[in-house]
Amino acid sequence: MPHSSTEKDFITLTNGLHVTTMEAGLAQCHDCLKLVPITGQHVITLFCPRCGAKIHPRKPDSLIRTWALVLTAIILAFPANLLPIMRVDSFGVPDESTIMGGIIYFFKEGSYGIGLIIFTASILVPFFKITGIILILISIHFKWKTWLRHKALMFRGIKFVGRWSMLDIFVISLLQVLVNFGYFSSVEASPAATYFTGVVLTTMLAAITFDPRLMWDINKERG
Amino acid sequence: MNTASKKINISELIACSGCDLLLERINIKYGDSAFCPECGEKLYTPKKNSIDKTLALTLTALLLFLPAVFMPLITLDTLGFKESGSIVDGIIRFYEKGYLLVSLILLLTSLLFPLLKLSLLFVVSINLKLKRYPGTLPFLMRCYHYIDEWGMLEVYMIGILVSIIKMYHLAHIHYDIGFFCFTGLLIAAVCSSIAIDKHLFWNLIEKKGEA
Repeated sequence: MPHSSTEKDFITLTNGLHVTTMEAGLAQCHDCLKLVPITGQHVITLFCPRCGAKIHPRKPDSLIRTWALVLTAIILAFPANLLPIMRVDSFGVPDESTIMGGIIYFFKEGSYGIGLIIFTASILVPFFKITGIILILISIHFKWKTWLRHKALMFRGIKFVGRWSMLDIFVISLLQVLVNFGYFSSVEASPAATYFTGVVLTTMLAAITFDPRLMWDINKERG
Repeated sequence: MNTASKKINISELIACSGCDLLLERINIKYGDSAFCPECGEKLYTPKKNSIDKTLALTLTALLLFLPAVFMPLITLDTLGFKESGSIVDGIIRFYEKGYLLVSLILLLTSLLFPLLKLSLLFVVSINLKLKRYPGTLPFLMRCYHYIDEWGMLEVYMIGILVSIIKMYHLAHIHYDIGFFCFTGLLIAAVCSSIAIDKHLFWNLIEKKGEA
């Protein structure tokens, strides 16, 4: 099918270019980033002509979904940090340790580098993600218009680091297999592993469901 | 009121997905990135020879995939005991101990999603290379978009390194074939996700190669 420009490929902007996509009567497809005109459409649900995804100007129910996921993450964070995550048996003596316990063990042993890596991935990153998202959600709720660029930067950081919290789970899965010398020494996962995976999942999903454009919409509401 | 009324083709515009600002698309050099002036979000990065590079790198990664996940990564040697493990062993062990959720997430993030990501990119880029545009391409690209974030090979690599450092004092460590395959797989997979120019891919799919 030859591609030719028709009237509907054009829009008229009366205010120059300093407008949002929504103000211009367009919406960006979430999946393929195509710009789709949404004004003057007589259908309830609009699908992207390029990829077939549903078109929404903003992610649907973004705030309430993000709140739900963040609150779930906070609830899961308690058992994840308080219950033991790993059990080491050496010469028949079991030793269970929590996430923080394992990190302290590394520092006592002098392995500062590795202790720091685990501390960053398992404690700092989830904490940073949860508080950061809550801060952004609260600032939208109270319509705070300050620090927008910084909040945008923080949200990009939250999205970027999200996956790195899985590190501890990967380490445990390898140690479980490798350190398996029967009576002498063996490593086993403990219940916190499930809750910790839950924290990582819910925080990653929260970052995906949150629509950063909502922060900027508040700034645009002038009347 | 500013009356600079302007009629403009939608395809010359681009929206910032961080703050919804509407911007005019400008042509920039290969490898450079365009950023949103309002919020600083990256808009697009045109890549040189994107299709060829993506095709070559995903093919390399796919060839290395099976040995990387099924062959043992490292062997620990203490007091005459030897124990070796692969990525798949790690998943199975979690499953056997009753951690269903953890083993499922491990299976997805360290095995299925990376494999699916590479396969999708391979299929899409080989079709674009051969200038064939079957109707399933948009669907495949959307699948890639959805699972992109959930393939975690690079996190796993750091996990392997942390495990090695943990065991360094306690046991003698042999690096097995899986470790080298995994390293190669990781490099090829990361480079393929850098090489892909999604805007180019989508435009080619939409205009069936006329762009």
